[in-house]
Amino acid sequence: MHTVPFESATGCVLESHSIVEVPLAEIQGLRDAPVPAGAPALPPRFLRHCDEHTVVGVRAVLEAVAALPDPARRLDRYGVIGAPRLAGRITGAQTLVRAAEAGGIAVSPHVVPQCSLHALASAVSVALGMNGPNLGASGGPEALSEGLYTAVSLVDASGCDGMWLVLTEWDEEPALDAAGRPTSDPLCRAVALALRPREADDEGAVTFTIRHADPTVHRESFMGSAAYGLADFACALGMCVDGGAMTSWSHVCPWAAEIRILAPATAAQPKRLRDRAWPRREAA
Amino acid sequence: MPVAHGSGSASVITGLGVVSPVGNSFTEVADNLLAGRSGVREVAAAVGAREGRQFAAPVVSIPQPTGSRFADFATLTRLEQICLSPAAAAVTDAGLSGTVVPARIGIVLGLGAEQLKAWELDFLGGGRAVLEPRRDETLVHRLARRLGIAGPAVAVAAACASSGYALALGRSWLAAGQVDACLVGGCDILSPTAIAAFYNLRALSRRSDDPHKASRPFDRDRDGFVMAEGGGFFVLERRDSAERRGARIHGELAGVGMSSDAHHMVAPCSDPTQAARAIGLALADAGVEPADVDYVNAHAAGTPVGDAAEASAIRLAFGKAADRLPVSSTKSVSGHLVSGAAAFEAVACLAAIQRETVPPTVNLDTIDPACALDHVPHVARPHRVSIAASNSFGFGGANLCLVIRKAA
Repeated sequence: MHTVPFESATGCVLESHSIVEVPLAEIQGLRDAPVPAGAPALPPRFLRHCDEHTVVGVRAVLEAVAALPDPARRLDRYGVIGAPRLAGRITGAQTLVRAAEAGGIAVSPHVVPQCSLHALASAVSVALGMNGPNLGASGGPEALSEGLYTAVSLVDASGCDGMWLVLTEWDEEPALDAAGRPTSDPLCRAVALALRPREADDEGAVTFTIRHADPTVHRESFMGSAAYGLADFACALGMCVDGGAMTSWSHVCPWAAEIRILAPATAAQPKRLRDRAWPRREAA
Repeated sequence: MPVAHGSGSASVITGLGVVSPVGNSFTEVADNLLAGRSGVREVAAAVGAREGRQFAAPVVSIPQPTGSRFADFATLTRLEQICLSPAAAAVTDAGLSGTVVPARIGIVLGLGAEQLKAWELDFLGGGRAVLEPRRDETLVHRLARRLGIAGPAVAVAAACASSGYALALGRSWLAAGQVDACLVGGCDILSPTAIAAFYNLRALSRRSDDPHKASRPFDRDRDGFVMAEGGGFFVLERRDSAERRGARIHGELAGVGMSSDAHHMVAPCSDPTQAARAIGLALADAGVEPADVDYVNAHAAGTPVGDAAEASAIRLAFGKAADRLPVSSTKSVSGHLVSGAAAFEAVACLAAIQRETVPPTVNLDTIDPACALDHVPHVARPHRVSIAASNSFGFGGANLCLVIRKAA
C-alpha cells in the first residue's frame, strides 16, 4: 500500500500544444487544406474518409508539431492517445439509417476503421509516422479525465520519447435530422499536447503530474478546480502556459485523482505556443 | 524495465473471468480449445445481411453474476451483460471484496466502438439516441460502480488489440503504484453493422457453404476471419500484496510490448518490422530471451495479408528459436472476438501453461509457405509451457505482445 496522497514519481513535461476550433461546415474544406508552415505534409487525400473529430484533431497535432521547440524532434519515436468525446456520431447515424433502408450493402467499409475509438490516434500515428503505441481512450463524457490520466500514466511506461494526447469534442452536439444529416453548425474543438518524460535539466518547464487523494476521503480532499469540458481545460492551459496568468491548475477526475499542471512563474517558456481558433465564418 | 521472475513487484493474475463462444469458464474454455471444438456456427441472418447463410461464433448464453447488485442483469443491453458477467467473475475469483480499499482498485476496459455499438443497439430497438445523444456515463464507469471499484476507470481502444492494451495500461498503473489492484480486459458483441462493414471490406471469410471450416489461419486457402463475441477480464495485483492476502495466483503478466506500423488506417502492413519490435519489447520487458518462450498464441485471424505478415514478424523477432517454437491461432476455434480477442487469448495462454499442452490451429490443412512456422495443426500438442507470448494486431497499425509466465 502506498502512502497517500500519491504523486506520480516524475510527471511529464509539456513540449508543445495547440488548440483548434473549426465549425462543422468548414471541416470538409479542412480535409484538403495545406498543412501549417513547419509541419510535415500528409499523405495525399489522407483525411477524406476520416471522422470530423479526426480531421480537427490531426490539424491540432500539425499546429503543435509546427510549434515544437526542437524542429528536429523525431516523431517516429512518439506514441499517441486520442480521446474524443462522442466521435463518429454523424457517420454512425447516416450508416444506421441507410442500412435500415437498403441493407448491409449500404454500410461503408470505412465506418469501423474511421469511426471507432481508436481512429483518431491511429490517424495521427499513420499521418505523422509515429511508431510508439497508438490507442484511443474514453470516447464518452469523461474523455478529458480518461485521456489525461492515460497519457500521463503512459509517458514513462511507453518507453517512447514522448506521447501525444489529442482531445476532441463538439461545443454542442450537432443536431441531426431523421436521415442523420446535421442541421446545426457547432464548433469541433481539439487540444493537442506533446508530452515527454521529465529530465534532469527541465527545471522551470510546464509539467503534468497525477496526484491521488487519500482513498478514505476521496475527491473531496482536492482543492483543485474541476473542469467539465475541453473548453475549460483549453482556457486554463492557455493561462498556465502562454500568459503566465496562472502557475498551477488541477483537473479533478471522477475517481480519487487529479491531474495537476504546474507552470512555475520563473519558467523559461520554450517557445511561443499557439492557441488558435480557426476563423469562424461570418454570419450571413 | 524488466521485473525479476518472482519479484514482489511483478504483476500477477489473481482473478479471471471469461465469456466466449467456446465456454464461460476457464475449465470449459481450456477443454474446448485443446480439443479443437469450434464455436463457429450458422446464425440467424440479420436484416440486410449480404449472405443467405450467415455464420459467426456467438456466445450462446451469458451467465448472470450472483448477488443483489446484479438483480437487474436481464434488463441490461447485451454489450453491458457480456462485459459485466466476466468482470464480476474475475472480481469474485480474486476475492477482492473487502481485502483491497476500493479507491485503490482500478479498471481498464478494452472496447473498440462502445458508442457505435450502443447507438446501434438502441436504433435497432426503435430508439433515437444516435440522433439525439445524451451524455450518458460510459460502460467502464457503470462497471466500476456496480463492482465497487472507486479507483481510476478508463476505456481504451486499439481495434482488435483493445483488450490487450487494457492489460498493458493496468499493468503500468500497478508498476507505478497508482493502484493496488486492477480489473483489466475487454469484450465485444456481434453487431449487424460491424458484420456488414467487415464483409464489405472483404475481411470476412465467405465460406458460407461450410462455416466450421471458415476460420483457417495460416492455411493456404484462408479467405478472411469469422466474427465472434465475448472476451475476458483479469484482476492484476503486485505479487507481494497478492501473496500477503493469500490470493491464488493464476500466472504472471510478465511483459508487454507495444508499437505502431504507421502504415495505413485499414490495410495490414506487410513489413514486419514494427510488429516484431512489439514482440521484442515484450520479451525484453519480461527479461526473457527468444529461446525461453515455449508457445506463441498468434493473432492470425485468417486474412491473407495479415497472417503472412505475422509469420514474418515471428520469424524476425524469434530468429532461429522460431524453428522449434510452437505457434497456433486459437481464432481457428473461437473465431475473432475483435475487442475481446487479446484478453481471450491470454486465457488461452494460461490454459496452455496449466494443461502443459499447446492448443491446435484447426482447419490448417495446407500450411501457406508464406506462413512457415512450427505450427500445431488440427490436434493439440503436449508441451511444457512456462512462458507464452500472445500477439494482437489491430486496424490503424496497433501492435501488441503480451508475455505470460507460469506462476512461480
